[in-house]
Amino acid sequence: MVRPGSSPCWSPDRAGVVSITANAEYLRALSDLGGTDEPSFGGKSAALGELLGAGVRVPPGFALGRDAFTLARREGGMPAVVRAQIASAYAALEEETGLLAPPVAVRSSAVGEDSTTATFAGQQETVLWVCGVDPICEAVQVCWDSLYSVEAVTYREHMGDSREPAMGVAIQLMVDAAVSGVLFTCNPVSGDRSMVAINASWGLGLAVVGGEVTPDDYLVSKVTRELVREQIGAKAVEYVPDPGGPGVVLQDVPAERAAARCLDSEALMALLGIARAAERHFGSTQDVEWAIARTGSPPENVFVLQSRPVTTVTQPAPAVPVSALSIVMAKFGVVDKSSEQE
Amino acid sequence: MATTTSAVSAFPSPFSIETPAGCEGWEEMYPYYSVFDERRRDTDENRFWFWNSMHFPFPMPAFDVLCIDAPYQAVGAWQNRVFAVPPAMGIDYRIVNGYVYISGNPVTDPAKIAERAEFFQARAGHYYANWTELYGKWQQKMQDLIAELGALSVPALPEYEDDEVAFGTERNTAFYELLTAYGRALRLGDMMWQNHFEFLLLGYGAYGAFAEFCKTHMPDIPDQHIAQMVAGIDVLLFKPDAELRRLARLALDTGVDMAFASGRTPAEVDAELEQSEAGRSWLAELEKVKDPWFNMATGDGLYHYYRSWLDDPRIPYASIGGHIDGMRAGTSVERPTAELARERERLAQEYGALLDDGTRQAFNDLLGLSRTVFPYVEEHKFYCDYWFLTSWWNKIREFGELLKLNGFLADAEDVFQLTRHEVATALDELVLTWATGGVALGPKHWPPIVEERKRRLEQMATWTPPPALGVTPEAITDPMTVMLWGVTTERVREWAGQQEGGMVLNGAAASPGVAEGIARVIASTDEISEVRDGEILVCGSTSPAWAPIFPKIRATVTDVGGVMSHAAIVAREYKLPAVVGTGRATSAIRTGQLIRVDGSAGVVTLLEP
Repeated sequence: MVRPGSSPCWSPDRAGVVSITANAEYLRALSDLGGTDEPSFGGKSAALGELLGAGVRVPPGFALGRDAFTLARREGGMPAVVRAQIASAYAALEEETGLLAPPVAVRSSAVGEDSTTATFAGQQETVLWVCGVDPICEAVQVCWDSLYSVEAVTYREHMGDSREPAMGVAIQLMVDAAVSGVLFTCNPVSGDRSMVAINASWGLGLAVVGGEVTPDDYLVSKVTRELVREQIGAKAVEYVPDPGGPGVVLQDVPAERAAARCLDSEALMALLGIARAAERHFGSTQDVEWAIARTGSPPENVFVLQSRPVTTVTQPAPAVPVSALSIVMAKFGVVDKSSEQE
Repeated sequence: MATTTSAVSAFPSPFSIETPAGCEGWEEMYPYYSVFDERRRDTDENRFWFWNSMHFPFPMPAFDVLCIDAPYQAVGAWQNRVFAVPPAMGIDYRIVNGYVYISGNPVTDPAKIAERAEFFQARAGHYYANWTELYGKWQQKMQDLIAELGALSVPALPEYEDDEVAFGTERNTAFYELLTAYGRALRLGDMMWQNHFEFLLLGYGAYGAFAEFCKTHMPDIPDQHIAQMVAGIDVLLFKPDAELRRLARLALDTGVDMAFASGRTPAEVDAELEQSEAGRSWLAELEKVKDPWFNMATGDGLYHYYRSWLDDPRIPYASIGGHIDGMRAGTSVERPTAELARERERLAQEYGALLDDGTRQAFNDLLGLSRTVFPYVEEHKFYCDYWFLTSWWNKIREFGELLKLNGFLADAEDVFQLTRHEVATALDELVLTWATGGVALGPKHWPPIVEERKRRLEQMATWTPPPALGVTPEAITDPMTVMLWGVTTERVREWAGQQEGGMVLNGAAASPGVAEGIARVIASTDEISEVRDGEILVCGSTSPAWAPIFPKIRATVTDVGGVMSHAAIVAREYKLPAVVGTGRATSAIRTGQLIRVDGSAGVVTLLEP
């Protein structure tokens, strides 16, 4: 699909699922990564590799390891060898998609032993709709630099993390998203694990993640696949590819469309399927960024952009071993003396 | 009620409610103790009262007050005096403009609560431990009671007593026999209500504990999933419809199905069936089914005007006709019991799997206990509310016939316009004048009273009672109020904040899904045939008897009922969105109006004025 006046974008219904072979010293195809690569490539890239391995639809791409970052620090800039490997992997993407300079997203992929419990606040730099090798290298540098942002340094201090910081970077084909958002494989508010909570808005996912819109809010039962609750938000703005070139722009959404429901039941079911697959694969509740391409139809055009463990979920009631009968008695106002003394 | 109170109430004082025009003097038809009386103002004004619209959505006819007195006598006796539920005694009621308001009596003294807990644990523990055995005895007890009611005869008043009275040894005269029979009829009613509540609190309590447990650990679980995990598959309540399906199949197999051509009355159907051998044997089969399965009620309520299928066979006949059509068309009208059973286990399994080991153990145990108690929860309605109660109202009608025969009433049905004590008084005068041969005053005395009360009831029916009266409680802590009526602190807040009118009705989310369509408001069973394909059924309440129209409709909304109500159960089976217990759907919605039913959220939206 070619948008008038914009960079041509990878279109999943035309290209199918693209895979690239791009392995090199500092770089690996996302599809070749797995959970054990987290120390070298960071949590995000490793998780994307895991998802691809599990059959979840993820836009294809490649990842830079922490060694690339270390080398860059030593050389004080983008090393030529890393640039060459990026160029070659990007060329492979061009060949696979048949597109000249296809737009990609460049995202930091934090490295750390505690990546299942920490959020890496301030280390989540993402640059969208980047086209061409030089712009990609600049975006990679932006990600690397974010490791020394005030927020990131403060965060590491706060967490008592005195280790030498390091970072991987993921480079993925862009999905020209009609709708995108975030889902939790539990209800993050109540902690209910029988539910999938989905926030969705028009355009690219930035608006939801950045809190620039009140997204549609859906709660779907994992057990019965019913839509249990929905609240249609006021989605007054959306991010779309900049018609004048690379990058994205924020534009107003007409009132009628802003108040319209942006996911139909097929899309919801596709997202539910993704939520269940991701949670089953990782064995824990997940926070998933997703996007639905403008072309094609669910589930084929629904993509996962990242998946990470939920770190801030409310726990429902703590498990207290009590007998069923004493629970029933409590319903009638009988106070259990043994538990009262605790 | 165990409530703490705030200084200013959102609800009117029970002493400030005005009598609607035309209803003046309404108090005269109710017991002296049932009204808000100045002599009890100090206590009554400082309590929280809510309209029991669940059981008493309409103004009370005088005789039907027995269905307030006896239930509250019975529920209080079990709850307060037998099981001694620690924080709650019984429930008081008051009548305002014909409508019933209730308020629980709390136990607040901690020492007293602790003392009652000892009783409760021992006695409730006994019931839970021996539930199935005790419930088996209960079923027998109910069948015996129903048999005694059936055998109770209302003696005629002969000109001359039988020889037996003159020459026999068992010599009771009709005056004594009639008064005895009436007294016994009342006692049998009380007995039914006593039985009704023997298991109810504990049954609902176990179920409620499971529901609460699920919601604590899975806060977003829809009520209907909880009900689905517990509800029985092969329950008594579905038997009547299963028998109708069997009869429909038999009609097809023996070639008499054409008798059920649409538009025919049951009598016309019978007349055609009588013409053939096959038809006569079908009718003989029908007779076998009638006892007990035609003791279903045509509506779900405690009022005398809810009759049984025996009294009004239009519903079962229409239902048989519907099943025949369905079978001819090859669309299955079978209840998918195997699928329901699988789904029930799947839900239990999947929800259980979301819990950690210790929590899962309690979940499974509570689910097991809930399933043990649930046959009572589902079946007591058939035994008590349908089978017994419809037979019992008919027994009272027999006394009405006798009063009519002797000119005391214009119509046997008018007996329900007298209080049960007035009926006793009327019978007293009747047997007195029968004995003396004197002139009865009754024929001059009662008919004007009946006329005035009928007129007044019609007036009262147009009044909308406020949801609550008295002080606004800061919290509802009475477990029974929460458990049996779903009146929680949040609910009371909603009431307090609610503006009258509005375009949205709230109720219980009984069956998931959203549907929009044209409303069909059905006030009584007679109007069922007016329902058109694709309409949304709006009614006071439904009974399982209404099931045949469910394939036609798109969604259902009721005034009365919870997620375990029939409308809810049937709607879930047919996968139709349902909102139940809205309190006022039939008055707020009119036929032809476009509405949206959100069965997942429990909200009905009126889409046009």
